[in-house]
Amino acid sequence: MNNNIIKKVSIKVFRNLLLIFLVIGGLSKSKAYTPIVIDILMPAPFIDSTKERVDSFNKENYGKIKIRTTRGPRQTESVSDLAISSLLLGKSDFDILLIDVTWLAKYSEAGWLIPLDEFIDDKEWSLLERGAILGNSYKNIPYRWPLLADIGLLYFRKDLINKVPETPEELLSTSVKLINEGVVSYGYVWQGRQYEGLSCFFLEALHAFGGGWIDSQGKVLLGTKPSIKAASWASRLIESGASPRSVTNFTETEALQAFEQGEAAFMRNWPYAWAELNKDNSPVKGKVGVTTMVAESNGRSVSTLGSWGFSILSSSNNKDLAYKAIKYLTSVQSQRHYFLNFGYTPTYKSLYKDKELRSNSEILPILQQALNRTEERPKTAIYAQISEVLQKQLSSILTKQITPKEGMNLAKSKTLKIIESAGSI
Amino acid sequence: MIYLLLITPALTLVLIVFGFPIVRYSWLSLHSYSVLTGLDVIPNTAANWVRLLNDDRFWQDAIQTIRFSTLSVSIELVLAIAIALILHQKIKRRGLVRALSLLPWALPTTIMALGWRWIFNTPYGPLENILNTIGVGTFNFLGDPRYAWLTTVIADVWKTTPFIALLLLAGLQSIPKDLYEAFKLEGGNSNQSFLRITLPLLEPYIILSLLFRIAQAFGVFDLIQVMTGGGPAGTTESLGLYAYLNAMRFLDFGYSATVMLASFILLVFYCLMLWILLSISKRIYELII
Repeated sequence: MNNNIIKKVSIKVFRNLLLIFLVIGGLSKSKAYTPIVIDILMPAPFIDSTKERVDSFNKENYGKIKIRTTRGPRQTESVSDLAISSLLLGKSDFDILLIDVTWLAKYSEAGWLIPLDEFIDDKEWSLLERGAILGNSYKNIPYRWPLLADIGLLYFRKDLINKVPETPEELLSTSVKLINEGVVSYGYVWQGRQYEGLSCFFLEALHAFGGGWIDSQGKVLLGTKPSIKAASWASRLIESGASPRSVTNFTETEALQAFEQGEAAFMRNWPYAWAELNKDNSPVKGKVGVTTMVAESNGRSVSTLGSWGFSILSSSNNKDLAYKAIKYLTSVQSQRHYFLNFGYTPTYKSLYKDKELRSNSEILPILQQALNRTEERPKTAIYAQISEVLQKQLSSILTKQITPKEGMNLAKSKTLKIIESAGSI
Repeated sequence: MIYLLLITPALTLVLIVFGFPIVRYSWLSLHSYSVLTGLDVIPNTAANWVRLLNDDRFWQDAIQTIRFSTLSVSIELVLAIAIALILHQKIKRRGLVRALSLLPWALPTTIMALGWRWIFNTPYGPLENILNTIGVGTFNFLGDPRYAWLTTVIADVWKTTPFIALLLLAGLQSIPKDLYEAFKLEGGNSNQSFLRITLPLLEPYIILSLLFRIAQAFGVFDLIQVMTGGGPAGTTESLGLYAYLNAMRFLDFGYSATVMLASFILLVFYCLMLWILLSISKRIYELII
């Protein structure tokens, strides 16, 4: 009887212990196979280009970390709207955002991004090209690590011209000459629609004439002589017929379309256009050359800095792992992959010396040259307002609503007003 | 007492959907809430409203919004009456025709705006091509301040005329047929019957659709954003777009709320003026007819 009870109890104890072991074993096992997820929001095109690298990261870190990407809209500003909507809720769904250079100041000012100086030291920054280092800091604190550099370039038809124009006037006169000869319908196409692209185009024009937008001390340089010269040049491009009237509604897409169809001799665009223009079905394949921007002798040839980079959100719970993911997706090896497959401008100095890349692309030296001449748009949390003011006045000048002088003076006074009501720049 | 209980659910819903945003916006418009305040909400008495009164961009956008709404709603109304009258006739395959005529209304605005942007595009747009072929010459529709806002009106008319037509069709169907028969027996012709029966009995429907459409046109955003982005020279920017820019691009939510609220006040004022104008013209109409 007693024996029986002991037997029963011991069987129960044994069974329960076994169960507990199994449960603990199961738990620890499932823990090992539930990776920590790092969420990244990117504009749609970047999802496709980074896919292979994301997959290989997930393979290498199988069971530990998993990058999950969210496909944002195609349009730059729509991605920002989406990100901001999630950030305003306080707790964002994302650990990492791929951000445009113009969002950095306002995002950091809003406290949405964490400083990256605890992760990245000066030595690491020094591995990057000058133009790739720019655009990642706000008030001297880094908030972003670049995925690719992006700069404004001047594309031309090397089969149509003997000498590449070096000054704005030469660009204008060569365009007019080619149209008069009936070689092309449009001379020079650029981004003239009232949107951010117009600011990018005009920043280059301002420097070409020896001026600037807002200098490093925060002084507004609009309304000065060089700025009026730059605005009149842009306006004369249309008046003289060097650029079509419809350029006032051109974005990058329309400019590329006209140039790719062989209807234009010159185009201002970003590096991505190179790959498009040299596709097998492109009518101008092999006929296109690239150079840096034109400038007057007393001006500076600069390229507006575009560029995208990764930032870690303050609300992320896994900042260290997020940084690990960023480093992997932007490594030298990744950049080589992006350049060879998608034409993304590399950020690392070493890649510009890479023999394979150099033999693969004739524009690599020009990209490097342009990167060293790149100019940032004003770095301030009120950048969007300031840029809107400039775009609107420029659009008024280009559509002949006001003269270049009036327009630039208005742009100056309105910019000053915005800075004044903000307290500082 | 029971009726109070019965309307409570509906009333609560209205309060949540309309009342809360208005109260919240009024409160926000009296505060600084932007990226420059570190997204903290700080009371600023009426600084936003003073800024609004001195903001010429706001007034330019207000004028543009009124111009856009007035022109597009007027054209829509005239076209919609004509379309409703046609759809009311006993035509072949009436059901199919009615369904087809609603198609523009059923399309998402952004999609149809992209379509219109393509149609008006220079130099590759089809319209530009046709005008060039028949020798009218080149227009720079979306890039010229004289035409750009008219292209947005055309797109808006195309999209929303079916909506008014549908409302008016419902109105037409509610008019008893015997009225027309009696009028015919008395020797009236069809023009007279339109002026003396159709229009007066359609009036409540016209007023209703006007209200709907004006409120909608005042808040126009997606159409403008896609077609012109507010350009050229800021001539097509609507108040809705300006409020959006302030919130999402400039991260200035206090001022954005002020712009929204001001545009709401403008809308109320506009409707009031319209009501006075309509009462006067109704009197005159009754005198003439």
